[in-house]
Amino acid sequence: MLTIVHIVNQFFAGVGGEEKAGSPVVVVEGAAGAARGLQAQLGDRGKVVATIYYGDNYFHEHVEEAKGVIVREVEKRRPDVVVAGPAFNSGRYGLASVEICQAVSEGLGIGCVVGMDSENPAVPTYREYHNLKVFLLPTAETAVGMPEALSSMARFACRVGSGAEIKSAGEEGYLPRGIRRVEKADRPGVKRAIDMLLNRMKGRPFTTEIPVETWDQVRIAAPLADLTKATIAVISTSGVVPWGNPDGFKIFRNTYWRKYSVADLKRMEPGRWEAIHGGYNVSFMNENPHYGVPLDVLRVLEAEGAIGRLYPAYYVVPGNQGSPSVMKRIGQEIAADLRKEGVGGVLLVAT
Amino acid sequence: MISKEIDRVGLAVALISAMYPLVQQVGASRIVKGVRIPHPCGDPSLPPELDLRLRREIVETALKALQSEVKGPSLFLPNMAVAA
Repeated sequence: MLTIVHIVNQFFAGVGGEEKAGSPVVVVEGAAGAARGLQAQLGDRGKVVATIYYGDNYFHEHVEEAKGVIVREVEKRRPDVVVAGPAFNSGRYGLASVEICQAVSEGLGIGCVVGMDSENPAVPTYREYHNLKVFLLPTAETAVGMPEALSSMARFACRVGSGAEIKSAGEEGYLPRGIRRVEKADRPGVKRAIDMLLNRMKGRPFTTEIPVETWDQVRIAAPLADLTKATIAVISTSGVVPWGNPDGFKIFRNTYWRKYSVADLKRMEPGRWEAIHGGYNVSFMNENPHYGVPLDVLRVLEAEGAIGRLYPAYYVVPGNQGSPSVMKRIGQEIAADLRKEGVGGVLLVAT
Repeated sequence: MISKEIDRVGLAVALISAMYPLVQQVGASRIVKGVRIPHPCGDPSLPPELDLRLRREIVETALKALQSEVKGPSLFLPNMAVAA
């Protein structure tokens, strides 16, 4: 029987939500939390020998330390395969899962299966690693898709763990990693190319053998020449909005942005602002909104002449679970507005 | 994601975040290490005066980043010792 170590965040270990996101790495023998679902899907094909969990915040604040502990704990158990996630559309959980798989496969040579929504912001990182031993299976956006995700991950983990030959992404259903594999074709390249060309000219479907990776390269803006003459604006994804949330932001998956005036304010008084965000514990932000919009020090720096002027409003969108395409559109809209308003430099505070 | 679009129109942007490995991967340019995910600009465990000093250090680091020439994702570290 195959042995498996399942690595999840504190939430899917059943330990708790945001209030437990600072939890360090903990090892539970056998299957716990989501790993019980994985074990059920595995049946007698495999056994989850340990469940390792970590707090969502802890991992990202102690990346090297957390990865080191996880690799050592996996090494002690020598499983045939490691499973991470499914992380659905959670950015923190998704990235932690990809980083853990990378560390485990590099350090120990063990194959890894990880699951998440194909729009999860961690997917480009997975692609960049081009790791032959890590396979990312697409899942639904939310945990509603848990049974399907665990079923496909269990099936795939059995294949990876048993050393079965894994074919291309297109045939197997994992997300492509940008790896070109050497394969034997039944016909020479020139014939395949001409067929492809003819199909294309006649408007018939064809499949390229060398997909070109589209890479969104952005030229980095030039530095600010004179800070003392520049207008500086703040964008915050912390979800800090005027008390009462006048524009009805949701705690996740927002599709619009707003800007709120701070024109006559020297500071953000607690009780007049609140943080709308489902991805972190907002109590600190509610007690002191400056953690997300540092108006107090910017006013001081403005008065001292260190910056020319603070733009009289800040931009906000609660960033939790925003899909990359929506965030890109919101970014474009805010960028156009900043240009129109003559802003010279931007501080973007991201929780 | 948002920071890339700001860079794209030619505006310098400094991203303050405790999740700096993620934003480095996504391709943000000028990155400033924030304190922790729920409170990037300061530390509620500090007395208010030191918390304010730390926030000023973080914002000043971000302003320094805006004036720095960078070629790729670059991490700027605030001097956390100002609050020690």
